[in-house]
Amino acid sequence: MDATLSGTPAGQVLAQKPTGRISDPIFVGLLWASGIFVLILLGLIIAMLFEGGLPALREFGIQFLWSTSWNPVTERFGAGVMVFGTLFSAVIAVIVALPLSFGIAFFLTEIAPGPLRRPIGVAVQLLAAIPSIIYGMWGFFVVVPLIAAYVQPPLIEWLGPLPVIGALFQGPPLGAGMLTAGLILALMIVPFITAMFVEVLESVPPMLKESAYGVGATTYEVYRNVSVPYGRTAMVGAVMLGLGRALGETMAVTFVIGNATRMSASLFAPGATIASTIANEFPEASMGSLKLQSLLQLGFILFVISFIVLALSRVLVRSKLKS
Amino acid sequence: MASLARRRATDYTVKAISTGFAALSIVLLAWILWTLLSRGLPALGPQVFTRVMGPPGAGGGLLNAIVGSLIQIVIALLVGTPIGLMCGTFLAENGRGTQMANVVRFINDVLLSAPSILIGLFVYQLLVVPLGGFSGWAGSIALAILIIPVVVRTTEDMLNLVPIGLREAAFALGAPQWKVVTLVTWRAARAGIVTGILLALARAAGETAPLLFTSLGNNGWSLDMSRPMASLPIAIYQYAASPFEDWVALAWAGALLITVGVLTLNILSRVVLAKIK
Amino acid sequence: MNFAPDTSLDIASAVNRATVPAGATKLKVEKLNFYYGENHALKNINFDIPEKRVTAMIGPSGCGKSTLLRVFNRMFQLYPGQRAEGKILFDGTDLLGKELDSTVVRSRIGMVFQKPTPFPMSIYDNIAFGVKLHESLSKAQMDERVEWCLRKAAIWEETKDRLHTSALGMSGGQQQRLCIARTIAVRPEVILLDEPTSALDPISTSKIEDLIDELKQEFTIVIVTHNMQQAARCADITAFFYLGELIEVGVSADIFTNPREPRTRDYITGRFG
Repeated sequence: MDATLSGTPAGQVLAQKPTGRISDPIFVGLLWASGIFVLILLGLIIAMLFEGGLPALREFGIQFLWSTSWNPVTERFGAGVMVFGTLFSAVIAVIVALPLSFGIAFFLTEIAPGPLRRPIGVAVQLLAAIPSIIYGMWGFFVVVPLIAAYVQPPLIEWLGPLPVIGALFQGPPLGAGMLTAGLILALMIVPFITAMFVEVLESVPPMLKESAYGVGATTYEVYRNVSVPYGRTAMVGAVMLGLGRALGETMAVTFVIGNATRMSASLFAPGATIASTIANEFPEASMGSLKLQSLLQLGFILFVISFIVLALSRVLVRSKLKS
Repeated sequence: MASLARRRATDYTVKAISTGFAALSIVLLAWILWTLLSRGLPALGPQVFTRVMGPPGAGGGLLNAIVGSLIQIVIALLVGTPIGLMCGTFLAENGRGTQMANVVRFINDVLLSAPSILIGLFVYQLLVVPLGGFSGWAGSIALAILIIPVVVRTTEDMLNLVPIGLREAAFALGAPQWKVVTLVTWRAARAGIVTGILLALARAAGETAPLLFTSLGNNGWSLDMSRPMASLPIAIYQYAASPFEDWVALAWAGALLITVGVLTLNILSRVVLAKIK
Repeated sequence: MNFAPDTSLDIASAVNRATVPAGATKLKVEKLNFYYGENHALKNINFDIPEKRVTAMIGPSGCGKSTLLRVFNRMFQLYPGQRAEGKILFDGTDLLGKELDSTVVRSRIGMVFQKPTPFPMSIYDNIAFGVKLHESLSKAQMDERVEWCLRKAAIWEETKDRLHTSALGMSGGQQQRLCIARTIAVRPEVILLDEPTSALDPISTSKIEDLIDELKQEFTIVIVTHNMQQAARCADITAFFYLGELIEVGVSADIFTNPREPRTRDYITGRFG
């Protein structure tokens, strides 16, 4: 060793003190603890929502799940209207969002010229960043009056009298209602679904697309017959994730759905979702009341529905992206 | 077999429709921003930042709501970020490939997408009921629970981008694991982890539903965390649904503030992220 | 018919004949077996590595040479499912013994990797990082140590004016020499080099090779390489591995000019691998 080198001499071979004998187990213990914490957190959420809502389930029995009465005066509560409203508005949202997402993803991956691609992609993503309550205000003050004035009257006039589908277009043109909620939700989930579509489409091997172009296919034909089938599983998962978001959206929906706890098949009728009902009725429910317990039970039902949808979407998304 | 002309026509039509959809989404974004600007800017006077919320017609502002939001978000970050950082590190470093990590990752994905209103209900049951009242603490904890899964996800993703070789090089010098992670791996992923925290911050800043049942809102000035606390989203919710014109105008001013803040954070994190990749 | 070019001649002319190995055994591998899960990757390896000499390990990809290198500093222990059986005696102490701490083993046996791995910090901090793990030095002592190891790694002149700038801004060859300096700074006794020049251009490669020649005055060096000219130029001892077995080990001059085993001859003449 260099004789001029100062500092403590290198220790006798292997007789040195190890540097991490105590600190490492502590650190690793902290890492594991934080992992376990996340597990416990979810477990606690499930347990506390269920436990909080249990008295309502005891009071009304299993019929609570489908009973359509929600009467704070007589204290008769059931989840039927809200479960229906949650599913109905979310399904409208997905039906509207699906073609939009397919189109925008096609535009972003195949049509947009290079320099425009990123800014437009970012702009679409910014739609996802706008807080829910802003969508609610915009929907309430801007979209609802427009729909009441320009969309609903002609639809009610033209489609209302038709058999079967006419049932979807009944009632006064209030603006607020299922359709408006579905449209706002669609706008909110389009960026999520689009972003995941783009990610899947970009993972399509170029060779695959090139060989399709090689036999003379058009851009759209390649998209439809090669890219989309290639990513189908993950894309279904992406749509499910969008559905999951739509099911649990609260503030935006609360502003535009009309908050009526009546069941109606009409797209124009005011309605309620589980989330909007909880947000709306909570201030009037006192601690420990049957109403509050019913709201907690509603929350538990929403959790179960979202959990199933999210679990399915995750399995689908991860399975494809891995292979 | 369709004729070439027809196939061409289909191709053009679909391209035109897709371009139209993309344009539509930009138009809608611009429309929302325009609505916020045109209704929020006129109401955005100095009193918004200097005066506490007041009764209709009294010329109140949003000062207590802005300060309340900041306090709750900062505490939520202080609580949520370390837990999220550690859990993300667990997934990327220690748990890699283990069954435990797969379960934690799945549960975290569920938390990430779980309806935020349910987090509010949960914290209501967990803290508000046992402690006998709404409080700023409860609001902060609810926001922290929203932050954790975002930080976990980005931390794991960003740590996975750090080459294995860098970790091995640090181990090869005789570093214990905690030093390898804190001094080398975290450092290499620093920018990405910060992005995750910015995104989590953006998410927490705009959340309304979980605060409804936790910090409730407060029309007066209060810095007491054990009492109900005002927040910007709750104030907007309360004012927007009111029949008073000056309250509605304040709601728009608040909405503009939140949106500008959230979008700035988002763009900022995207810029950082683009630099990494 | 054999169409492979006969490269044995130019390798032979490049062989390093200057030093004939002698001296004490630094690392003694005894009955070493290694497993990746079920996969038996090293089969009953026995071999001695002499002190202050360069020992090269060659062989086709997957032959186990890198695996063995990663057993010397217990790097394999980072990965569950990998395990080693047998003994590696380091001046008589079993490196695989349970009572030894990996961090201590690694402070005595340093390693440089295939790709340069500068940490995302300044040149100075890259070096100080390793030193601080094992010693507490004053600022002046640390400055001295940094200069010492950068001089040893023949990179002092290029870096002395930019010690506090990021190491990520250096060229690949400079980064690799910084990594060597960082390893030396801890003052190990053995330096393991895992294909240290495979990611570098020819000029940087020759600088590293010159450096290896310098370093063996003080350190015991074990190098894994795919480049047979490099092994011939740098190494005193060469060991040839094939399919997890040590086929032949000996003085480099003998291995490259007159291998005993036909498989060794086939490999060094480019017939496979």
